Amino acid sequence: MIRKALIPVFMLMVTFPIALLLLLSFGKSWVYPNIFPDQFTLQHWNDIYQINSELLMVTLKSIGISLGVSSVVTLLSFFSSKHISYSVYKSRWLFLAYIPYVFSPVILAATLQFYFTFVDVSGTFFGVILAQLFITYPFGVLIFSNFWNPRIKAIAELSNTLGGNSWITFYKVVLPLSKGVLLLCFFQVFLISWFEYGLTALIGVGKIKTLTLSVFQYIQEANIFLAALASCLLIIPPMILLYLNKRFIFTNQQTI
Amino acid sequence: MTNQLLDIQNLSKAFEDEHILTQTSFFLQESKTLSILGKSGSGKTTLLKIIAGLEKQDNGTILLENNDITTLSAHKRNIVYLYQDALLFPHLNVFENIAFGLKLRKINAQEVKNRVTKMLYDLELQKHIHKMPTQLSGGQRQRVSFGRALIIQPKILLLDEPFGALDVDTRKQMQRLCKETLKQYKITTLFVTHDLKEALIMGDQIGKMQSGVLKTFKNKEEFLNDPSTGIKEEIEFWKNIHANEE
Repeated sequence: MIRKALIPVFMLMVTFPIALLLLLSFGKSWVYPNIFPDQFTLQHWNDIYQINSELLMVTLKSIGISLGVSSVVTLLSFFSSKHISYSVYKSRWLFLAYIPYVFSPVILAATLQFYFTFVDVSGTFFGVILAQLFITYPFGVLIFSNFWNPRIKAIAELSNTLGGNSWITFYKVVLPLSKGVLLLCFFQVFLISWFEYGLTALIGVGKIKTLTLSVFQYIQEANIFLAALASCLLIIPPMILLYLNKRFIFTNQQTI
Repeated sequence: MTNQLLDIQNLSKAFEDEHILTQTSFFLQESKTLSILGKSGSGKTTLLKIIAGLEKQDNGTILLENNDITTLSAHKRNIVYLYQDALLFPHLNVFENIAFGLKLRKINAQEVKNRVTKMLYDLELQKHIHKMPTQLSGGQRQRVSFGRALIIQPKILLLDEPFGALDVDTRKQMQRLCKETLKQYKITTLFVTHDLKEALIMGDQIGKMQSGVLKTFKNKEEFLNDPSTGIKEEIEFWKNIHANEE
């Protein structure tokens, strides 16, 4: 009974902030102490579709950075995690993977800043991707370290003795079994990269603007309508990922 | 007269300072089963993995039909290694699991279908053709695993305590079915177990692995009379229990 009553409350708690942001993104003017804006307009949303729109460019750049980081990390950590997991020094390597999280990403960025400036990648698109790899790559390794277990190794060996070479074993056995964890890693890393603030701000040195940085900037400027609009754009990809996650990973786990 | 199919010469393996196999030599006759008895850690699994090509030996030679396969990759040896766990491919159903090896060999679809259907019949699995591994019992999974190996007609089948995880009744059924099927398909087998009775039931020849050294017996008589096998103590134990009950 209590559970049934709590579900709508929970739904309201989740949907209310999103609905409010959406409402504010259409606002034109707002005067204290009103709860809602006095006037509404489609102009902010229309502006996104303009070719020179700053928010459009920032959104595309953010998508580019997050897709780049998540693709590289998923690929790189999938294969390197295999070697780490089957290494006799597994625990030593995994201990190293936790180090970026022992420091906070901002401290890590401050440490990296010197080297990035030295090799002249500070304030560049590539530099931000590279910096984000420093925190997301170990995360990917940690995700895959549970996948590369003795059972997967034994299944791959069995496929070998049945006549499958390394490529066939990978393509026909390991890949289908790893689909779920690959998607999980990709989605998780995308989200870390997407919402990354401190490290991106430091390494980007104001030249590389992401959507997360823009939200903070609009809030600091007290531009609540653009902050709301940027926030709406910021939550669209995670919501799509949440849907895909439910649709594919969950279904996949049910099948396997 | 049977032919000598597998000839193992002076195999040695050590992990760091620990000697797992020491100068192990034996041969295996075609279409026969050699049961290898041994305690955990005696080197049985390492021996099988080296023969399968999944582990590298430090020294020694492996001859299969007089060809040196010592350095040949596992996928080219046509020697299948089966674990205690059935390890069915979880994303494939029973038919696809059994057909796996045939498809790798690019055998045409109709032939695959015919051979898998026959194998399913031989292993009493016809009703389960479309089931996924999670829908099968332990014994059924082990039979599918067995069929998946047999269907490619391996030169040698290596069975590493294959019935160790099964209950007593299923184990008995599997021993019978396995023995019949191995005979029917004329498969040369190395059967590793720590169960004395199972070794006697399954093997045409028996060997005992102790501290990395394999001792093979000419026949079951020699095995039964050898004090190091511990079989006499076993017989005495059961006799005493019987006597005490009377």
